[in-house]
Amino acid sequence: MNAAADPGAGRVLDADVGVVGAGPAGLAAAGSLARAGLSVVVLDEGQRAGGQIFRQPSPRVAGCGAAPPSHRRGRGLLAAFAQSGARLCSGVTVWDARPGRLWFEQAAESWLVRCERVLLAPGAYDRSIPFPGWTLPGVVTAGALQIMGRAGVVPGKRALVAGSGPLLLPTVAALLGAGVQVVAALEASPRSSAWRALPGLLGHGGRRAEAFWYLRKLLGARVRLRSGWTLFGCEGEDRVQRALIGKVDAEGRPRRDTARSIEVDVVGAGFGLVPSIELGLLLGCRSRCDPRRGGHCLDVDGEQRTSVPTVFAAGEVCGIGGAEVAIAEGELAAAAIVKDLRGVPVPPALAVAAARERRAADRLLGCFPPLPGLCDLATADTIVCRCEDVRLEQTRAAAALHGRSLRAIKVGCRAGMGPCQGRICGPSLQALANGLPGQPADLPVVQVPVKPVRVQTVLDAPRG
Amino acid sequence: MAAPMVETADLVVAGGGIVGCAVVHHLAQLLPPQTRIVLLDRGPIAGATSGSCMGHLMVTPDTPQEYAFTATSLALWRELQQQEGGFDYQPTGALYLADAPEDVELLPVLQRQFRDNGDRADILDPAQLRELEPGLAPDLPGALFYPGDGVVLPMAACASMLRHAQRTNPNVQVRPDCAVTGFATDGDRLTGVRTAQGPIATGSVVNTAGVWAPELTAMLRQPPLPIHPRAGNLVVTGHHSTPIKTQLLEVSYLRFAHGAAQVDPTRTTGDPGGHAVNMQPQTHGGCLIGSTRQFRGLDRTLNRDLVLRSLARACRYAPGLRHAPIVRTWVGLRPYSVDKHPLIGPWPPVRGLWIAAGHEGLGISLAPVTGRLIAQQIAGVPTAVDATPYLPARFLR
Repeated sequence: MNAAADPGAGRVLDADVGVVGAGPAGLAAAGSLARAGLSVVVLDEGQRAGGQIFRQPSPRVAGCGAAPPSHRRGRGLLAAFAQSGARLCSGVTVWDARPGRLWFEQAAESWLVRCERVLLAPGAYDRSIPFPGWTLPGVVTAGALQIMGRAGVVPGKRALVAGSGPLLLPTVAALLGAGVQVVAALEASPRSSAWRALPGLLGHGGRRAEAFWYLRKLLGARVRLRSGWTLFGCEGEDRVQRALIGKVDAEGRPRRDTARSIEVDVVGAGFGLVPSIELGLLLGCRSRCDPRRGGHCLDVDGEQRTSVPTVFAAGEVCGIGGAEVAIAEGELAAAAIVKDLRGVPVPPALAVAAARERRAADRLLGCFPPLPGLCDLATADTIVCRCEDVRLEQTRAAAALHGRSLRAIKVGCRAGMGPCQGRICGPSLQALANGLPGQPADLPVVQVPVKPVRVQTVLDAPRG
Repeated sequence: MAAPMVETADLVVAGGGIVGCAVVHHLAQLLPPQTRIVLLDRGPIAGATSGSCMGHLMVTPDTPQEYAFTATSLALWRELQQQEGGFDYQPTGALYLADAPEDVELLPVLQRQFRDNGDRADILDPAQLRELEPGLAPDLPGALFYPGDGVVLPMAACASMLRHAQRTNPNVQVRPDCAVTGFATDGDRLTGVRTAQGPIATGSVVNTAGVWAPELTAMLRQPPLPIHPRAGNLVVTGHHSTPIKTQLLEVSYLRFAHGAAQVDPTRTTGDPGGHAVNMQPQTHGGCLIGSTRQFRGLDRTLNRDLVLRSLARACRYAPGLRHAPIVRTWVGLRPYSVDKHPLIGPWPPVRGLWIAAGHEGLGISLAPVTGRLIAQQIAGVPTAVDATPYLPARFLR
């Protein structure tokens, strides 16, 4: 008995287009593709479509507070998607891919999508920067806290939100909506960053309304967003009870003399986002490193085509840019795929719109450049790799003996070899281990499965 | 004007895998502490074969010579564990599992081999097998348990050897990301090494580059070393998912591995070694599944068919594995030597050139005895084991 003799266990879906991700980019693209008459399968990790930004509240809880204006657009996208005829597979793990083939696991079943074109819209991860106490229960990423806020399941009453970039605001708003007191909201970038961001915010209709909505929310709850401050560490017995906060310099280096302790029982830390490029790398797509867009991102041409001709990419995977960019790029990618498969030319307005949104997003995010000094938050015994319990000093010893590359540090201390495969620690691992703040990480080596799946799923996988 | 300073070393060891680290470890113990020893690797230390293998410490009893060589090396491993440790050493023993009737017949043959060498191994009936490993399938006909085998984490073992070496001899230098780009010679005598980080004047170089050892000697215009990459596909499951606590091998493994089968390394298909599975518990509770064999040059892309075959065989023996999450798969390259014995000793055509390479799948097991053997040869002291069968000069005849 072997798997080759038993190839029928898994199931096959045939479609014109396989889309990975049902966030703004995936939804916009899948809706357009289906309306153009193509058969579309959308594979999404979430239990419900929407992605991180337009996440629909769980049906078990009443909607927690009002939603920002952009969510009207999100609801529109979701409604259009629902009517488009595209097929959605939720709660799935895509674990292997080749051009025209996507293997996934859903509810312990093994599936294969066979398609003419693949569109990657998998979004991004929270960028984690290790600090003392970040592994305590009650300390989560800003993204996770936002999800908990929207679902009304925040594990605490007094929250601290700290990090950098525009995504702190939705996290604070989600907490306020869930009735949680936000004790402090700390933006590590200097105040000048926010001022520089202002023209970009005010000059863009969607963003202006969004920014005003969030600011009203914060003002109404008397939450002040403090610039040039961050979280130095968390303390507590079995879970977080106190946070040490203080000022940072313009590069993000902590000024220890300004440290003070505040009592909190839940902490969200979000230092920006990292594009989720693993599937793209597995498919053989070319990438490039753009620190202002979150690091390594997939390289696409003017119509969202990657270096692999049948694979397209849209949204955060092409560089962090936000929902407006994702929607515009999703629509453009869909049009380019329709051109490929149906010979219909791409409406020039779509490429113009996508480029305009990208420029606007680059300007906005350019106001919050990476802060290399935040590497100084971790101390020698701070855990850097949570999966394998590796501390900063062990990563430094590994780099000193085995070498400075990402591979060397991994083999030297097992950091990044656990279930997350370096998704959490990888982006800052090299800079931390080498003591070189701001050093960009080597491109990770991606192996099958991209995310853990059961042995049986691999055995049952239909042959491509 | 003063001549530019050129770095000098008494010995350069080229290749920072487990064999290179073991060579440095033993050189540091055997030579005076002022001896300048430089270990180079073109990538990370333990970044190639030693960072992508299983770490099975294995006694092979096929011949008295093989038995002595592997058993001596395992004793040196236990010594290193006492001296330094830090590499997840687990004295698990090994279970040779039978499935098909012809494999059951191999169990007493293997048992006799261990006994002929004055060692012990026990044949387990199905009930005894279940008692030792409750996670195994209930219908297995039996197994042979050999208590002497063990498991280590090879990357950590490399670091452990180098830590010990640097404490013994502060003049040991370790230089990752420093590829050898060429050699300097004077007649048939080696006088130096050119590296990515500058030249080193030295009269002695040990080639410990494993799969890449032939590339190094080719720079000296030597005939090709008979070492070929033999790929293995590996799978590891998540923490706390292993259904087994012993190192497991299909007894049919003996028909494929370590020179039992006649294979042609220049053929890239039809390598018969693909079938036997090897399973190993990790200290974090994962299970490492591997042991496919294939000649296809330096290609390290995953062979999905062979992985599937390994997984199916592994689930045949330990059905609970079906529910374990797979964290990662990868490919490692074994340095296969055409006569199935490693090359350990001087390379006579170039004075000052030494070779320690070609251990195929036994590099982790044999690294300490290899390191000691070549260090004793270099130091000019009597060797503790007979060096003759491993002398590279056998390929010059």
